Amino acid sequence: MSTSTMSPAHNQLVDNLFGMSRGDENADEMSFGSMTSLLSGSLQPKSPQMPPHSPRPLQHLTETQETYREEENTMVEEDFAFTSNGLLAGKESSQTETTTDGSSIATPASAFNEVDQPLVSNGLLSSSMDEDDDNAILNPRLPILQGQGISRNPARIPIKVTTFDGKNFELRRKRKVGTPLPTLHNIASASSARPSRLLEVPIHRLMEEISVTVAQKLTDEHVASATTPVRSTPQSTLWVDRYRPKRFIDLLGDERTHRETMAWVKCWDTCVFGTSKSKGKKRARDEDDGEPTIDLDDPLKRPTEKLLLLSGPPGLGKTTLAHVVAKQAGYDVLEINASDARSGQAIDDRIRPALESGSLIGSSKPVLVVIDEIDGATGGGDNTGNFIHKLLQMAFEKRPRKGAKKSANNANRPLVRPIICICNDLYSSSLTRLRQQSRIVRFNRAADVHLVRRLREICEKESLSIDTHALNNLVNASHGDIRGCLNALQFIKSRNQPVTEPMIRAATAGMKESESSFLNVLTDIFTPLSKKRAKAMGIREIDESKYVDRLQRLIDGSGSTDKVALGCFENYLNYRQHDISKLRKAISWLCAYDAFSGGMRSEREYGLLGYVSYFLVPFYPVFAARGGPRIEMPKVDWENFQRTKTNEEIYKSLAKGNQADGVTNHRPPHLRHLLEQQVLRLELAPLLNRIISPPLRPVNNQIIKADDKARLNKLVETMLLFDLRFVQEKTEDGSLTYRLDPAIDVFVTYEGKRAPDIAPSRYATRHMVAIEIEAELAKRQAQQVAFSEVARPSMFGRRPKTINDMISSLSDGTIAIDPADKPPTDFFGRPILIKPTPSVTTAAKNTEEAPQKKYKVGFRFKEGNSSAVRRPVKVAALL
Amino acid sequence: MSLWVDKYRPRTLDSLHYHAELTARLRALASSGDFPHMLFFGPSGAGKKTRVACTLRELFGPGVEKIKIDQRVFMTPSKRKLDVNIVQSNFHIEITPSDVGMYDRVVIQEILKEIAQTQQVDLNAKQRFKVVVISEADSLSRDAQAALRRTMEKYMSNMRIILCANSTSTLIAPIKSRCLLIRVAAPNEDEMSRCLNEVAKKERFDLPPSAAQEIIQDSNGNLRKALLVLETLKMQSPDLTGPLTIAKPDWETYCHKLADMILQEQTPQRVLDVRTKLYELLAHCIPPDVIIKTISNRLVDNVAEPLKADVIHWAAFYQVRMRLGSKKIFHLEAWVIKVMSLYKHFFYDVDLTGDFED
Repeated sequence: MSTSTMSPAHNQLVDNLFGMSRGDENADEMSFGSMTSLLSGSLQPKSPQMPPHSPRPLQHLTETQETYREEENTMVEEDFAFTSNGLLAGKESSQTETTTDGSSIATPASAFNEVDQPLVSNGLLSSSMDEDDDNAILNPRLPILQGQGISRNPARIPIKVTTFDGKNFELRRKRKVGTPLPTLHNIASASSARPSRLLEVPIHRLMEEISVTVAQKLTDEHVASATTPVRSTPQSTLWVDRYRPKRFIDLLGDERTHRETMAWVKCWDTCVFGTSKSKGKKRARDEDDGEPTIDLDDPLKRPTEKLLLLSGPPGLGKTTLAHVVAKQAGYDVLEINASDARSGQAIDDRIRPALESGSLIGSSKPVLVVIDEIDGATGGGDNTGNFIHKLLQMAFEKRPRKGAKKSANNANRPLVRPIICICNDLYSSSLTRLRQQSRIVRFNRAADVHLVRRLREICEKESLSIDTHALNNLVNASHGDIRGCLNALQFIKSRNQPVTEPMIRAATAGMKESESSFLNVLTDIFTPLSKKRAKAMGIREIDESKYVDRLQRLIDGSGSTDKVALGCFENYLNYRQHDISKLRKAISWLCAYDAFSGGMRSEREYGLLGYVSYFLVPFYPVFAARGGPRIEMPKVDWENFQRTKTNEEIYKSLAKGNQADGVTNHRPPHLRHLLEQQVLRLELAPLLNRIISPPLRPVNNQIIKADDKARLNKLVETMLLFDLRFVQEKTEDGSLTYRLDPAIDVFVTYEGKRAPDIAPSRYATRHMVAIEIEAELAKRQAQQVAFSEVARPSMFGRRPKTINDMISSLSDGTIAIDPADKPPTDFFGRPILIKPTPSVTTAAKNTEEAPQKKYKVGFRFKEGNSSAVRRPVKVAALL
Repeated sequence: MSLWVDKYRPRTLDSLHYHAELTARLRALASSGDFPHMLFFGPSGAGKKTRVACTLRELFGPGVEKIKIDQRVFMTPSKRKLDVNIVQSNFHIEITPSDVGMYDRVVIQEILKEIAQTQQVDLNAKQRFKVVVISEADSLSRDAQAALRRTMEKYMSNMRIILCANSTSTLIAPIKSRCLLIRVAAPNEDEMSRCLNEVAKKERFDLPPSAAQEIIQDSNGNLRKALLVLETLKMQSPDLTGPLTIAKPDWETYCHKLADMILQEQTPQRVLDVRTKLYELLAHCIPPDVIIKTISNRLVDNVAEPLKADVIHWAAFYQVRMRLGSKKIFHLEAWVIKVMSLYKHFFYDVDLTGDFED
């Protein structure tokens, strides 16, 4: 990037800088150098110190700029901001809620704030200015800093203000009367405290001095930059805190994740800062990329998803990312973690006020809430649920209706600040609702190479000598948990010895060991330790024979010893073919295991739980062999368990009668001796199957032989006795079949084959039997009905309707009305008006069908049963 | 109309077909008015339940046959609900506590207390006590048996207990000493053929002696099974003449097949095959005890003399282990492997000394 392509602001700055000593070429070059170093320092902290008299300052600038662009090439639109950042950072840092001036608050810009702001003010401004530079910036005394290529007269630029309802309005600035425009000149003179207009020191010296100090400072900061703060930090702090990334580009790990988070936070800009994302540059891939987008329907222009949910294993830097992103985007962070009370009340008490009024007194930055470990407090009963419920409620509240009283719906203000939630287990049950409604960013472990590089840097800073190999091991052992790595390193450092691999192993022993999955445990039991892994775990040749403790820990760590045992059971036969004594050894260990754990459970001696895993260790010496068959997940046992359950249900339904219609239809009690568990399973079930499948020929009922007829009758009766039916079903290919229900034929079906002596009953036969059963059932029902009608004659036989219904249906005109019948009246003799309610019409429909049936009407005078209304009714009216 | 087993079950002591001495003794006990607690034991299908029912009828008259089935809900200490079917008349109650598995103690306690604490209210009743029939008493847990023993003494005036079991070995001694032990032996061949012929006569068909003989051979003293087989045969081929094939229960056939597989080959692959078969049997709800027993019987028939004792020894050994643990398949397979290695050793080198060690 050359000067010509620089923004006007840039040029202006250059003008201003050199305005006084124009013509002095030496000074010009010098100051340019200083400026470049300033720029390069801020943009590329890792670059070596720039000599103030560098012959190629511009080229260098360009280089650094280019490298930066390469790194951040997706953020192209912000490169203008980069250009001006180095110089205008001071302004940026103080752009707060009332951000002004149009030009973008570039993301990286604020990252440099810390470094740059003092530089600018120290180098160019007096120390007095430095102290209240907030003031200095808001107040348009500094022509150098306010330009930004938009307007040279900031007094004309109104300040945009966003209320908590998300309304934007503008405040006009007044120009302070009588404030003299400060110039570099009078700043300088102010610092020298001399009223004279001349400088005591020539400007080129002054500039040189400045550039030297700046350069010195930069070197210092560069050395301590990024991962390394100033060396003077007290040794008592944890390395984790000391080397916590402070800026976006220092973050380790998957950049896409970082950028996604950032993009989401930036989506809030429109709502929070009132700036609009450059519309013209909106990339086409925005739509299909699943990137966070601003909800266009939302009057507040908030992102579509109001919450961000970061998830991932511990130690990868989720919390750090949230903090860095928040800071970089210009927010103050309010962190709520598991140590804070998290109830619905907390939302009202802490989060809402913080979101609305900012957390720090004196800071005017908006607040971004980070809710850490949101899945952690699940043990607290409904507390977390309540918390998440309230959180969601807050996040998705609608904008209050206009005209509604502000004080009245106090709780109904929409969310206007971003909230980031962080969790380890995304699928924790308490997060179910949150998961559906928030934008989810998953964290993956950073590439080992990067981790190692960062650790190496830190070790250099801490003057800890360590070889790359050891670092690799460390990173491996910790599964990318950089926090764990740093803690381990600090622990090693505290002993002041050069780091060796054994030390790394000692320090990482136990780290993440519970993470091993069930299948890995099985594999470890059945395969010998490879040389590589042994080395990684620090096990020497001699120790390799000492496998018991290692495996025992492993099995314990897998969580479910029972599952491991089952896995052993289902896999051990695939090993050691043709050596039956080994198999015997293995299976007797399994038996011992089962007996032991069974005993432990029945006696409730759970103190023995620690010893259970030892019973599975002996599989290792017996079976561990290289190149054995692949370990598979145990599943046969589960399948068989399922089948057993199904079959048990069938037995139950056979023994207890079907309970389909809610009423338990008990078997006749005299059968109870046949239906006892053992008898049923061992004797009745197989024989009953044979009894109900006689070799019958499907012939017409009329021409059936007497012999067969008797058998058929017996069959039907037996089937009815046990509530067996043939149910018609359609198979997949469309043909009809009859299925036995309940399916007791499974008890003669082993390995999918029916017993050979049972004649396969054909469709036609089953059809015939089914018809017979139906007929028999109908006959019995008829008998039942006849019996019950004799047994309890009711007043009007079967009386489905009330008299009133009858009458109303009569007056409907569908049935011939007896002319003698009076119009219906109620108790007091008033005529009844029939409302055409649906119930009446259905009643009418019923009566339409009614005449086809012949009701048997029985009359019986019931003494003592007085009806309130007694009126003559003709029999004809009832029929 | 019902199955013949049920239809022609004797209802009174007089109509019982065999064990005349036992019948006389029961009749004497019932009429003496000094009825003790009783424990009926004997092989399955010998007629224990039938005798219990007949005795009850002798005690209380035909009223005892008016039976209703109640579904009662019990609450375990851990607040689990148990549904238990209870068969009862005015004079007696029948429970099968083993239906609820390990919670049988709860059921025993609740029901016995309830019965024991209420007196017979029917003044016309012949006896002043009620009877509790507990079937499958040999599968009662220790706790349940312990719960039983005190109640048996304390509430003697209100209640008598009749236990039904296949064997007394799993009952604790205090219970056995409180009961009058009555052994119901399996009927011999003559008695069985008499019963079968009686049924045939009542059903009005001729039972050829050859067929009867075959059924009796097959059923092995289990009259219930014999009658079921008879009915099956009658359904399959009405005339009962000619060569009859009596179908063994399918699980039994399957077990035999399994035993043969063990003897044919002793390799890990074969162990795997056997395992699938064992799973199949377990999935059909065949009790593992029965599986191990059936297979070992078959094995004993087919192995050389010196091995027979070992096969049975290890079957017993693993059956015990099976009771201790919960994964039946482990122990079944362990037994299979053990038998295989015994068999192999026997054939290739006859050194069996070390085998009893583990």
